[in-house]
Amino acid sequence: MTEAEPPAVASAPGASFPVRLPTTRFSRAVDRVLSAVGRAASWLWVVLLAVIIVNVTLRYLFQEGRIELEELQWHINAVAFMLAIAYAYRVDAHIRIDLLSNRLRPRTQVWIEFYGTVFFLLPFIVAVLVFSWDFVAHSWAVSEISASPGGLPLRWLLKGVLPLAFLLLLLAVLSRLARVWAFLAAKPETPP
Amino acid sequence: MTGAEILALAMIVAFIGLVFTGYPIAWILGGLAVVFTVLAIVLEVDFAIPTSVDWFYTSMAVDRIWDVMENWVMVALPMFIFMGVLLDRSGIARDLLTGFARLFGPLRGGLAIAVTVIGVLLAASTGIIGASVVLLGLLGLPAMLQHGYDNRLASGTVCAVGTLGILIPPSIMLVVMADRMSMSVGDLFLGALFPGILLGGLYVAYLLGVGWLRPARAPAARVERMDLRAAWRLFLAVVPAGLLILAVLGSIFFGLATPTEAAGVGAAGALALALAKRSLSRKVMAAVVEETSRTTAFIFAAILGAVCFTLVLRGLGGDELIARALLGLPLGPTGIVVCILIATFLLGFFLDWLELTLVILPLVAPVVAALEFDPVWFTVMFAVCLQTSFLTPPVGGALFYLRGIAPANVDLPVIYRGVAPFIVLQVIGLAILFNWEGLATWLPAQAYGG
Repeated sequence: MTEAEPPAVASAPGASFPVRLPTTRFSRAVDRVLSAVGRAASWLWVVLLAVIIVNVTLRYLFQEGRIELEELQWHINAVAFMLAIAYAYRVDAHIRIDLLSNRLRPRTQVWIEFYGTVFFLLPFIVAVLVFSWDFVAHSWAVSEISASPGGLPLRWLLKGVLPLAFLLLLLAVLSRLARVWAFLAAKPETPP
Repeated sequence: MTGAEILALAMIVAFIGLVFTGYPIAWILGGLAVVFTVLAIVLEVDFAIPTSVDWFYTSMAVDRIWDVMENWVMVALPMFIFMGVLLDRSGIARDLLTGFARLFGPLRGGLAIAVTVIGVLLAASTGIIGASVVLLGLLGLPAMLQHGYDNRLASGTVCAVGTLGILIPPSIMLVVMADRMSMSVGDLFLGALFPGILLGGLYVAYLLGVGWLRPARAPAARVERMDLRAAWRLFLAVVPAGLLILAVLGSIFFGLATPTEAAGVGAAGALALALAKRSLSRKVMAAVVEETSRTTAFIFAAILGAVCFTLVLRGLGGDELIARALLGLPLGPTGIVVCILIATFLLGFFLDWLELTLVILPLVAPVVAALEFDPVWFTVMFAVCLQTSFLTPPVGGALFYLRGIAPANVDLPVIYRGVAPFIVLQVIGLAILFNWEGLATWLPAQAYGG
């Protein structure tokens, strides 16, 4: 899948994985879903913008502070950035320090990607998913709502975003691993 | 040192070592939290060395992640990013630079000054060093070289100004720093304002000096003469964008809006400017929101990784270890702070501001508080040290970002020599700020109509 990312003037250079990885049928299918989710969720920033403006306007024109609008702001922010994490992983926006690594051979870099994913990223995701089980289950069992008067009633739903975001990330990671593995399996190690 | 503390030290060393693999920082931080929980359990179960870190302890990571999700102040982050990306993608940034170049161009050194003013105004809202250096490099460098500027002077200006942007409010680095230091974003913005202007002023003074003493290195540009229409276009390009930045800062200063609201209003203002300019197609808008998502997500991912890392490091007693080591230095309070700042400067060679802010700043903050230094002043000093480090050869990040996009005759040796005078200016700025704490602390004390 050659997806044309817009030419990024303001994106940090050196942030993306420097080796082109082959795609597999699994990775293409997953990545298509993740891109769609990520792109759709990106429009939440415009919604957030609108909520802030409405809130500020209400306060200055009608002297009316709305607690639910303030809560809505961080609710939207939380949903938007949590859902964007898998998307950013998919398009490889996460910051890397490539001072030394970009001098390594591509194959070595892909091996680093493999070990990093297996020993750091995957355990992290699995741990958060396991830990979040009780956290979310408790909230859902009591149908948790906001603690402040006039707050939003859907606190339990928002907490569900935490494991959802990490599940999406897990999918993205599996897709990446499939591609990493395809790369490592395709080219046999050349003798030095 | 107890067994747990040795583990804590190993955790910090492992982090700094693993950074060089080029694997994303966010995942290294999160992964280390899990790996060191396992190691702590092994130490406790198999070697009977108490560590007080187990799965139950580390499961608090979820509460820490939730704290980040429900953090209302951090809503400012995506809004400032949105504003910066929008100003860039809609061509407003480009118009501003062209406008200022025409205004200052006829002055010797004027083009470089135009780049400085733009960098200060715009880079602020992007707040990502790579991004602002690249933006200025793509827009400003060719213009300066074309008009016969010395390539060392031109590249030094771009690097210095591009990094200066990260500490001029409304910078997203300052938002993250304030959040980690549990201080008000408004206070930190206001605290950073005068030091930022001081550094910008030093740059301008230097550029004027070069233009005056060595006109061949920064010649007056022959630009089209200003007529009424050009002046009007310049007015249209410069005034609204300038007002926008002033409105964002002003509303925070006078307590009219929280930083979150100011960020939202700023983003809305940028949107209105782009609409008025008719440069906002659906496609551009999609690109803007998606880039906002990507940048926001990588910052938040690093924060999530860092809160888990810090949780486990605390559990192992790592923060007390650092505090004891620093406070045990046979130096006065000033000496200890200088040591911290020098260490920051050195770490800035290979860590980005995000890692330093998320991992190192919270570790040293209690020490600075114990020594009774003003936290705003210290954070601003920390930020200026970081910025200096990013443009110091041989490994400062800005130098490589610029090299990545610069023409062939601007190679690394040229850039190295170009930034040298700016590093001297940074050191002067740091010395001034170190001796006159009021530069950072006076303005926050006057703010909020109080």
